[in-house]
Amino acid sequence: MNSIVRIHGERHGDTPVARVEGEVDASNADAVAAKLHTLMTNRSTALVVDLTGTTYLDSAGINLLFAFAEELRARQQTLRLVLAGATPIARMAGITGLDRACPTHATLDEALAAG
Amino acid sequence: MSPVTEGTAGARADRTLEALQQVTDVALAYLPLEELLGALLERIARILTSDTAAFLLLDESRQELVARAAKGIEEEVERGVRIPVGKGFAGRIAAARSSIAIEDVDHAEILNPILRIKGIRSLLGVPLLVEGQVIGVLHVGTLTPRIFTDDDHSLLQLAADRAALAIERARFYEQRRGVEALQRALLPDHLPAIPGIELAARYRPSAVGHSIGGDWYDVFRLGGGRIGLVIGDVMGHGVAAAALMAELRTALRAYALDGHPPAEVAERMNRLLAPRRPTTMTTLAYLVLDPETESVSAVSAGHVPPLVIDPDGSTRFLELAGDPPVGVSNATTYHEHHFAMPTGTSVVLVTDGAVEVRGEPLDRGLERLAALARREPGVERLATAIGDGEVTSGRSNDDLAVLAVHLAELPERLRTSWPAEPEALGAMRHMLRRWLGRRDADADEVYDITLAVQEACANAIEHAYAPGPAAFDVDASHEDGLVTVAIRDRGRWRAARGRHRGRGLPLMEALMESVDVHRTDEGTTIVLRRTIGRPPAP
Repeated sequence: MNSIVRIHGERHGDTPVARVEGEVDASNADAVAAKLHTLMTNRSTALVVDLTGTTYLDSAGINLLFAFAEELRARQQTLRLVLAGATPIARMAGITGLDRACPTHATLDEALAAG
Repeated sequence: MSPVTEGTAGARADRTLEALQQVTDVALAYLPLEELLGALLERIARILTSDTAAFLLLDESRQELVARAAKGIEEEVERGVRIPVGKGFAGRIAAARSSIAIEDVDHAEILNPILRIKGIRSLLGVPLLVEGQVIGVLHVGTLTPRIFTDDDHSLLQLAADRAALAIERARFYEQRRGVEALQRALLPDHLPAIPGIELAARYRPSAVGHSIGGDWYDVFRLGGGRIGLVIGDVMGHGVAAAALMAELRTALRAYALDGHPPAEVAERMNRLLAPRRPTTMTTLAYLVLDPETESVSAVSAGHVPPLVIDPDGSTRFLELAGDPPVGVSNATTYHEHHFAMPTGTSVVLVTDGAVEVRGEPLDRGLERLAALARREPGVERLATAIGDGEVTSGRSNDDLAVLAVHLAELPERLRTSWPAEPEALGAMRHMLRRWLGRRDADADEVYDITLAVQEACANAIEHAYAPGPAAFDVDASHEDGLVTVAIRDRGRWRAARGRHRGRGLPLMEALMESVDVHRTDEGTTIVLRRTIGRPPAP
């Protein structure tokens, strides 16, 4: 992890939540992926990645989320993304199809309520 | 060895004069301490016609005399003989602060066995005094029994007094050189190169006195394209101040890179120093410059106010609340200030040694600093002038540091070169965002173009597998609403491998109007084009 991104790991009930704040690019994508892996648990059916505090997400970041979604799917778990509407990050998720590879929610509460 | 006998008054005067000349010879003045001690011993032994001579210097912290130079009894130094003050021959001289003569070594209390082993029969020792303080002991010895005369006593004391001054002077310069080297080693050896940001910094020890150590400056990149700028001044001088400065410089960086805003950084610095009060009082100013939003957040802990040079060349000092230095009080809250820094503005941070002259109000120095800033265009020239002591006309007896930053306009045609490493992406991205913002691109356009360019850069970095330091170039231009960015590397394009790779090119194509990839043996160039003002991508 470098100084341009911070990841806050939380648990809401059994559901792990990662709030990604700052910028994700090729310089820190591997470190971000490693941090997300530390939050994986067998006690929940979903893992929430909250991107509302993310200000930049390049293809390295998009790739890691695709890969992470696939990994969770293999464990019968769901990656839920929180994407604030009308932000560049939401637009990138649309362009790359990330928003069709996993469920997206406008708020963290909505993501948690979905399971 | 001919015993020295009382001579006539005239002969005594001659001997005294010769002794004085021998130990105050200007040729000795520039010798390093060890050589000086050796040369002095040679001369003293000759004047006193002794077989041995030795300097022991006081280790103040342990209250021990340490053998530092010896003639005829060199083993003393080789073995690092240490004699406690008050014990033995030399120790008693230091404690009594007066000369002691031993006519028969066999029957005296001597701690150091080397003196006995060497067959020394008689000894005469005197304290080395500087301004009434003992800094060591000088003693001479003979291998045949000798009764030292009053004349010998006063001659040796005379030589010791002069030698003490020479030793003190040599030690002072030795320490000064050491501290200066340490201080310089602890300051940044280069400032970051950031397109559109001009930086200049100087550190200068004071021309006179012990005033080295404790002042520092620092510049580092923070997330989001922001830049941290620090100036600080640890009270006190010498090795201790330089060492504390190094600690504080690192601590401040660490707090800043952890994402804490300026006021929080100052509060943490204060808490860090609290247990070590009151010897650690430190003033500092910490500014975070965001070139994209053209704004600065700042905190000042009792520091000299930053000077602002507005784009029109006028000057003013930033009014930062009078928060106290760090390391003074536990119960201190630091206030953060936010102000605009439009392109074309400069900010100059100095320590008080750059502006303060003893006996004169600080305002006078600040006025002269502002006047100098209005005369000297450009941060490089200004920092040089301040570093040369122009504000104080060399009348300051403190060391000084200066750090100046200028937010420059990025040129219409932006050509930059970057090291082919992922860490370059962030810096490049924020420079491009700032350039696009100045070309009236809206937020989505800025994001899309930046992301597409970054994808091309990430490609260049990944493909830069040629040996040696690899680099890539970004060449951006803007004409009639059309932004063209060419990203050039000297590697070969390779198809992305792995399942979740290869999204770069489709992203570029989705975000830009055109993406052209030119591959040659020399490298790959990707040319991206997009009109600013078209509807945002779906």
